[in-house]
Amino acid sequence: MKRLLVATFALCAALNATSQDKAQLEKARAEGKASFYANITAVEPIMKAFTADTGVKGEYTRISTTKFVATAITEFEAGKFMADVVQGPVPVLEILKQKGVLASYRSPAAKGYPDWATKDDQIMLFGIEYVGLIYNKERVKPADVPTRYEDLALPKWKDKIVMANPANHATTIAWLVALNENVFKDDAKWRGFLAGLAANKPMFVSSFGPTPAPIESGEKLIGISMPKYIVTKSPAPLDWARGAQPLMGTPRAIGISAKAPHPAAARAFVDYWLSAKSMGILAKDVGEYVLAPGVFPPIDGIDKAKVIPIRELSDEETQKWGAEFKKIFDVKK
Amino acid sequence: MNQPRAAKLTWLLIAIVGALTVFPVLMLVLGSFSEGLTAFGVFTLDKYVDAYTDPALAEVMLNTVIFVIGASVLSTVLAVFLAYLNTRTDIPFKFLFGILSVIPMMIPHLLFSVSWALLLNPSNGLLNLGLKEVFGLEEAPLDIYSMWGMILVEGLLDMPIAYLIIAPAMASFDVALEESSRVSGASAWKTLFRITLPVLRPAILAAFILGIVRSLASFAVPSVIGMPGRVPVLATHLYEMIATGFATDYGKAAAVGMSVLAASVTLIVVYRALTAESEKFVTIAGRGFKTTVIELGAARMPLFALVGVLSFVLIVLPVAVLAYTSFMPYSMVPSARAFSMMTLKHWRDVLGDPISILALKNSLFLAVVGATLGVVLSVFVAYVIVKVKTRAAGILDSLSYLSFSFPGIVIGVGFMWFFVQTPLYSTIWALLLGYIATYLPYGIRPMSSAFVQIHSHLEESSLVCGASPLTTLKRIIVPLLIPGIVSGWILLASMFVRELTLSVVLSRPGTEVLAVQILRFSEDGLWGKLSALGIVMIAITTALVVLATWVGSRFKTA
Amino acid sequence: MEIRIRGVSKHYFSEGKTIKALDDVTLTIPARKIFTLLGPSGCGKTTLLRCIVGLEMPDTGEISIGDDVVWSRDKAISVPPEKRGLGMVFQTYAIWPHMTVFDNVGYPLQVRGAPRDEVRERVAKALDFVQLAGFEGRPATKLSGGQQQRVALARALVAEPRVILFDEPLSNLDAKLREETRKELRAFLEKLQITAVYVTHDRVEALALSDTIAVMRAGSIIEIGTPRKIYFDADHRFVADFIGRANLFKARVRGEQGGHTVVDCPLGTIACQRRDFPAGGEATLCLRPEFIHLVRGEAPAGHNIVNARIETLTFVGENYETEIRVGEELLLARVDADASIAVGDAVSFSLDPAHCLLVAA
Repeated sequence: MKRLLVATFALCAALNATSQDKAQLEKARAEGKASFYANITAVEPIMKAFTADTGVKGEYTRISTTKFVATAITEFEAGKFMADVVQGPVPVLEILKQKGVLASYRSPAAKGYPDWATKDDQIMLFGIEYVGLIYNKERVKPADVPTRYEDLALPKWKDKIVMANPANHATTIAWLVALNENVFKDDAKWRGFLAGLAANKPMFVSSFGPTPAPIESGEKLIGISMPKYIVTKSPAPLDWARGAQPLMGTPRAIGISAKAPHPAAARAFVDYWLSAKSMGILAKDVGEYVLAPGVFPPIDGIDKAKVIPIRELSDEETQKWGAEFKKIFDVKK
Repeated sequence: MNQPRAAKLTWLLIAIVGALTVFPVLMLVLGSFSEGLTAFGVFTLDKYVDAYTDPALAEVMLNTVIFVIGASVLSTVLAVFLAYLNTRTDIPFKFLFGILSVIPMMIPHLLFSVSWALLLNPSNGLLNLGLKEVFGLEEAPLDIYSMWGMILVEGLLDMPIAYLIIAPAMASFDVALEESSRVSGASAWKTLFRITLPVLRPAILAAFILGIVRSLASFAVPSVIGMPGRVPVLATHLYEMIATGFATDYGKAAAVGMSVLAASVTLIVVYRALTAESEKFVTIAGRGFKTTVIELGAARMPLFALVGVLSFVLIVLPVAVLAYTSFMPYSMVPSARAFSMMTLKHWRDVLGDPISILALKNSLFLAVVGATLGVVLSVFVAYVIVKVKTRAAGILDSLSYLSFSFPGIVIGVGFMWFFVQTPLYSTIWALLLGYIATYLPYGIRPMSSAFVQIHSHLEESSLVCGASPLTTLKRIIVPLLIPGIVSGWILLASMFVRELTLSVVLSRPGTEVLAVQILRFSEDGLWGKLSALGIVMIAITTALVVLATWVGSRFKTA
Repeated sequence: MEIRIRGVSKHYFSEGKTIKALDDVTLTIPARKIFTLLGPSGCGKTTLLRCIVGLEMPDTGEISIGDDVVWSRDKAISVPPEKRGLGMVFQTYAIWPHMTVFDNVGYPLQVRGAPRDEVRERVAKALDFVQLAGFEGRPATKLSGGQQQRVALARALVAEPRVILFDEPLSNLDAKLREETRKELRAFLEKLQITAVYVTHDRVEALALSDTIAVMRAGSIIEIGTPRKIYFDADHRFVADFIGRANLFKARVRGEQGGHTVVDCPLGTIACQRRDFPAGGEATLCLRPEFIHLVRGEAPAGHNIVNARIETLTFVGENYETEIRVGEELLLARVDADASIAVGDAVSFSLDPAHCLLVAA
């Protein structure tokens, strides 16, 4: 009896949820479209699927990280914020939350996500911008592939590394700091690693985007880059260095605008976004590491890797470490 | 034109150009003095204190000075050299020069820089590999990731603009000035340095200053070549300021930008002072005037070979690299294996992508409509600058450079801060106005050269007030202005097709443009798609250039 | 300094056609005289001048200035213009706009490395000569047309060239200034006693300035002579026609009579200057308007007397220009400004055989 009661209750809840969903979808359709500001790339397939599945037009505006806050706040303060849903790195959404740009929403679609993914009422985490060591599998012998981050400081990698500029690339800065906090856990060892890496004179580029090209072409052999490029740049001869140490990255987050022109569509979009279907598209098409349970990018071995979110740095910290890394890596030719 | 009318026109233009260029800069000024992240906030000087007490700034400034002067000297010298060969000598295949002067403007600077890195990087740059092979060297002899590499690439990129300014001046040069020097006992070389170049000083200085202003605002070369080479210049310094952290403070970047602006405006004022006298002098092309061609003799072929190498470096190479990359599944050094892996995938992806197609349409619209409006405005502004020459005309000249000379990554935000206050925000008209405001000098410069050649007939026929018979305008002034109009239109249109700095801030769903689409591919490291779209972009610009030239030649004969 | 030109030809290629700018020109330009090349535009006079100066290279032939061969196809000699030691005044004056008057004039000395003091002294002398003393510091852009012309002359003279050449130097001046400058120029050149080569298409200028005139057409020299010889005794119809206003008639030679050559022409039978034309041959009779002295009323027939009727009458200031009809022919003539004569009046005139010029048909 008790079990039946529980079952009935569960059924009712489920029915209730679906009918709630339905009502929301009706409203969303009436609103017509959902506008999505994001810094994540290549999400057009999800937008298409969203439009097809819900009948609500998904509209995607890509805004690069450096212009994200400036654009959002400028528009918001001028009363012209056109986004219903915003997506960006956690620190960006934190700033927006502080400015009152974000509304509260807890999506039912987040069920099964790790607990830490639900950061608070406004911000929901759905993925990790995971960083790893990517190498050219045609030019690096299997025996030479690093198994630990420390290996990158070996002299054999001199002039063979590419990475985003540690003086200003926020994700790289946070990643290097996280390396100390999560892997080395020893300041001296960590600084030793940095010195070794600096001595190898890595080539600096402006962000992760330009890191894979020199590896593919053989200009460099290995890089601090993102495993997702193995998917997006296929059939390029890229692979990632596997090891016992965790892969780390800044969490990717999503939230709803407090002044969303299409509030119901916004909620519908977030629900859709967090669903296994769209997270599957994100993982499969773009190689993203997502938090939806059981969904993995089609990269060999990634499902067994430990991928952890790193602590977000405040801007002051980012700038402080950026300046510090600038000094450490300032090796003149 | 009579005085009060000229003054009225001048002030009207000051109002129009001012509205276009002052507001974004004003927003940035406000932002640089305000707390917070937008243009409006509590007054503070902190941003200036912060920005200018940065200990790294001294090195950055020194590098910047070397970089912009180096690049500008290179582009001007190259432009003078090419313009001289084309307009004054019997060098063969002159049509090459027309192409040389336009094509590099159509190539996205980012791609141009990347293709040079592909050639001259110390690890596996093609040229370096070749040199190592030939001379049996251990180490790569050349390293593009250095100050000289930056100067080289930026100089080559700025050369076409310098050429378009210098070549018409050289073509309208009264050859008798040189001939009388020869007869007076000066050798050809002495004549070049004592007569030809000094007489052309206004055009050469204009090209040089435009080069400085351009390379100050340039971002592609400092980021693609300077960053790996660890040569920080102002553009990358600003980028670092903006990119380090998430609450990007454009106000602080604007505070640094203010000194660039001050430098540019000073340069323009100095330039006006230096050329005020000589620009008044209109070289009379005498009746029966004919340009004598300097016979290069034995030097003809070596010089042509040099031009050939330049064309190769400026056109064939980047376009070839683009074409090659667009067919490669991923970045590869050319090899038999690479060629066997060629694929049409990127082309299919790009041409099948509705956003890319929309971007193409938008860019085409902006180029055609924007360049046309820009040229119309330029005609009036150039008229006032060249012919009216009052203090107010000087203000107008400086105003036209205002947003042009602000570093690219910052001015876009200035425009955003401005347009968000207007109903134009997020429409294609915001892009249109922003483009015209920012690139106005590209329209004005060639037009002023054209006006300099028109004598005071114009005063009486008063183009602007329409006070005189339309036929004067049609039969005398327009034909004389056509070369200026055509080159101004070409410059603006090709600029607009590949405009990035404003577009990346102002473009929204529905107003996507080509360059932003290309930037996205580049951010994702999708060089293949980027190259395919880049070639589409070059093709469009080529079509526009051909069209403009054709229309121009029809007008001339009519 | 004598200039000798031997068999010089020059071709241009334009729009697929070959244009003979100079067609086997052989010419000696005498020293210390003013020698003018006269002809319609496109006749090759400027090309010839530029070949002498070295701004253009002939295709064939040889040019020498004094004892120096400056150009020779066969000897493969080509002296560049700066080594020929000449002075030249250009049609546009070619005053360098970025220099002062002093620098413009001093330039030929400066580029030859003359010492400063010498430059200053000789520039002052040259400016003094062209009556521009005190203009040294003036920017070239602040000169009037006439002043520019004088600066150009001073510059051409300052280095004491072996030859001075003029390429239509007066054509950019207005009519009144042109006349004054022409006189001045004549005076300057006479004082200098320098070899001068002058190119113009203006016959009045040529007649007024020159010691010798060479008339050119289509790349060839047609005739050379003193101004009087060219004006009164031209050998060629083209020359006679080009050098002044002329009434030209087809004439048939009857023969010689009393030291005159007698011809039949639309005016009747006219005794002309003696010429060696065979009897029965064709010739052209050339009558200059200024030698047709009209008398009112009809005159009885006689030797070289022609009756005519006034057809048109145009007042041009110093006199009337009139067209008179003789049979089918219209002749140009002049009538004194105070003559009381009207359109339709009958007139007559008597021709002095010395002014009836016969040229080849």
